[in-house]
Amino acid sequence: MAKEQQYDQETQHSKLMIDHDYDGIKELDNPPPPWLMMIFYGTIIWSVFYVFYYNIFDGPSQEDEYNTELAEAKASVPQSTFDETKITLLADAAVLSEGEKMYASKACDACHGVTNIGPNLTDEFWIHGNNIANVFKVIKYGIPEKGMTPFKDQMTDEQIQQLSSYVISKMKGMATANTKGPQGDKYE
Amino acid sequence: MEQQTFYYDNKIVRMFGGATILWGLVGVLVGLLIALQLVFPSLSFNFSMTTFGRLRPIHTNAIVFAFVGNSIFTAVYYSMQRLLKTRMYSDLLGRIHFWGWQLIIVLAAFSLALGYTTSKEYAELEWPIDILITLVWVVFGWNMLGTIAIRRVRHIYVAIWFYISTFVTIAVLHVVNSLELPFSLFKSYSVYAGVQDGLVQWWYGHNAVAFFLTTPMLGLMYYFLPKAANRPVYSYKLSIVHFWALIFLYIWAGPHHLLYQALPGWAQSMGVVFSVMLLMPSWGGMVNGLLTLRGAWDRVRDTAVLKFFVVGVTAYGMSTFEGPMLSLKSVNAISHFTDWTIAHVHIGGMGWNGFMTFGMIYWLWPRLFNTKLKSEGLANAHFWVGTLGMILYAVPLYWAAITQALMWKEFTPEGFLAYPNFMETVTQILPMYYLRALGGALYLIGFLMFVYNVIATAKSGKLIAEEEASAPALEKVSSKRQPGESAHRWVERRWVPFAIFAFVAIAIGSVIEIIPGLMINANVPSISSVKPYTPLELTGRDIYIREGCYTCHSQQVRPFRSETERYGEYSKAGEFVYDHPYLWGSRRAGPDLAREGVKGGKMYKSNSWHYNHFLRPQDVNPESIMPAYPWLISDAIDMDIIPAKIRAMKTLGVPYAEGYDQLAVADLKKQADEIALDLKNNNINVAADREIIAMIAYMQRLGADISKSETVSK
Repeated sequence: MAKEQQYDQETQHSKLMIDHDYDGIKELDNPPPPWLMMIFYGTIIWSVFYVFYYNIFDGPSQEDEYNTELAEAKASVPQSTFDETKITLLADAAVLSEGEKMYASKACDACHGVTNIGPNLTDEFWIHGNNIANVFKVIKYGIPEKGMTPFKDQMTDEQIQQLSSYVISKMKGMATANTKGPQGDKYE
Repeated sequence: MEQQTFYYDNKIVRMFGGATILWGLVGVLVGLLIALQLVFPSLSFNFSMTTFGRLRPIHTNAIVFAFVGNSIFTAVYYSMQRLLKTRMYSDLLGRIHFWGWQLIIVLAAFSLALGYTTSKEYAELEWPIDILITLVWVVFGWNMLGTIAIRRVRHIYVAIWFYISTFVTIAVLHVVNSLELPFSLFKSYSVYAGVQDGLVQWWYGHNAVAFFLTTPMLGLMYYFLPKAANRPVYSYKLSIVHFWALIFLYIWAGPHHLLYQALPGWAQSMGVVFSVMLLMPSWGGMVNGLLTLRGAWDRVRDTAVLKFFVVGVTAYGMSTFEGPMLSLKSVNAISHFTDWTIAHVHIGGMGWNGFMTFGMIYWLWPRLFNTKLKSEGLANAHFWVGTLGMILYAVPLYWAAITQALMWKEFTPEGFLAYPNFMETVTQILPMYYLRALGGALYLIGFLMFVYNVIATAKSGKLIAEEEASAPALEKVSSKRQPGESAHRWVERRWVPFAIFAFVAIAIGSVIEIIPGLMINANVPSISSVKPYTPLELTGRDIYIREGCYTCHSQQVRPFRSETERYGEYSKAGEFVYDHPYLWGSRRAGPDLAREGVKGGKMYKSNSWHYNHFLRPQDVNPESIMPAYPWLISDAIDMDIIPAKIRAMKTLGVPYAEGYDQLAVADLKKQADEIALDLKNNNINVAADREIIAMIAYMQRLGADISKSETVSK
């Protein structure tokens, strides 16, 4: 203990408060550390500026920030030149294997294979037609009322074309135990 | 002055201390289980009471109210008697307080497991328990203030300032946030809706952290730390400044939980600036604690108690630095809805609350039982294992949080989300979840060492149930301020004005922030296409609440390109006017559901998708960490309660037509039949009266109203 008392004597600002004794706990008469008070005053001043800027002088609201973000994104994203009215069925093997990869990465199987949530893509029966233009449209814009997700916000038109080509040319006969029975019209 | 002899009641201290240890162990065990469920969803056991959504509130409530609650009562009952040189005011009130609080804990555990929850975080308990809490809290306050009234020490010490502010503020917070309209013996609806409910909830939630996990712990620190270190408190003046600044500023900071959400801009700004200003008052506590150890640092090396206190106080400093940072909108835009918040609260919970409690009990137990700590070595081992556990818990979660947030926000050069499938962002961070569970396991091992050491210590000694003490009676002096007496010194010996000043300090921010939110409709521009829920959807919503879906799924799309691109239109305040309670959530372990029901939207799924997904999520999403909900298919909807629910909602201002409560069941059945028929057309045969039908109806309604029309009127 002697070492501690010596420490008290050697350091400044360590006067005991007279009269302060709570179950043996004493208190020192030190001022709050100046650096801590500087932080306090600094945060108060910052807060005043903050409220003035955002709430009194009409700084950007979160809606303004959002609109700016959208405008910047629009300017930076390249415009697609794809013409979906002139879409063709692709047959190149490399392209079809790209399509197969996309079929896996977009988890199409979750509805069209593993579970029977979505229609069968492996037989000759098609609800919305089986030519490239029809399948492309279904994947790109979805069938909202039946729960088919639109993929226009996840894939480029070229990618959707590849995926559509894969679905049309490569999936026939790949039914699993869970795949649904025939629905729609028969296409040869 | 006449010397009086009296006895301290140590038995009540041991009771609260024992309860602290017991519930702490339960809370940590449940925490470890839910951490493991996030990596092994099968640990939900396909059983309702053991799913994450029901266990998570049990974990948080057990830690906050059972572990920390009993810990602060231990501190209050031990330190107040000694600081005021008196026995507690009433042994009987102390016992009622103790057993009442334990009863609340047991009822909480059962009712939450059974799915009786309000869904408001840290205020999940239903109305009968809310009333019980109020009564027990009054008993606690009565006993505490009574003890102050019969004291033999003129001035009340800083620890007791913090205890008083705790009592006063928790009373206000609990009553205001728990206002709810019962519609059955165990269920109620919050009287507030949507934005207002969110604002009140986080005014409460944030200040439960402030006045339940912080102020009483600071009181604990101000008694036990100088006692254990045998050093004077560094600065009396700092105590004054940081105490008043803390309680005045804290109460405003709640809206920082709702940044970038459908909350008026002015309220968000209040949340930001008051959180930033809180830095110094919070650090005031840390600085006063750490500087009190000046000259005693050599002893920190050899005593486990001081080690726990040093790391506890430092953890407090870390989390109160992090708090203001997370309240900056630009940081919050990244951190919110991620594991960052989880890591943040665990630095506070494991470090500050946990370690301060361990330190207190290691110091207290040998004194209560007139013996020595069984093993100082084991206590030191607990310290190191606990510290390592805490680091291993928090660091991976920070990593996971940043990783996931960046993945959510990343775009490809073509302007698409880089990870449009939410699942990818979860799978990516699963390794971090393993490490976090390992950290939690280490913390639990430390806790077991603690339990053994404390029990062995108690066994090696004998409880001094009645500890003799003596002090002179308190001489009557003028209540007026004396010449040379500082204003604060004066109020320190006048506890009634002190309590009133503390009340005023916390009332100012509360009134300014809450009242306009409730009164002024301009804060919530109404949207004419937003209609009340149908009886079936309302039933589904109540199931959503019962299953704790909100613990993993938010319902709030923030105005960021990355969120509107993933989920759809950002959320508007006017969409939630019939939401009693609001269900915005605070964490996205799974995707946001605010736009789940928008047909043609980015989140829309068919009825059959939902059916399959609730039954076996892993069928639809092999890597999904969501538990299965098979009982939604086996359990039937409770039709008898529907009219009471409609009447309660009508009382709360939801515009159902007069007499609709009698037509509601027929409407419910009609809508249920349509969904069952659609499922049947997709080869799924399920009776129309099953709970899953209601859940699907609710999913298909979420966020759908606003897409019908964009007319926003004032």
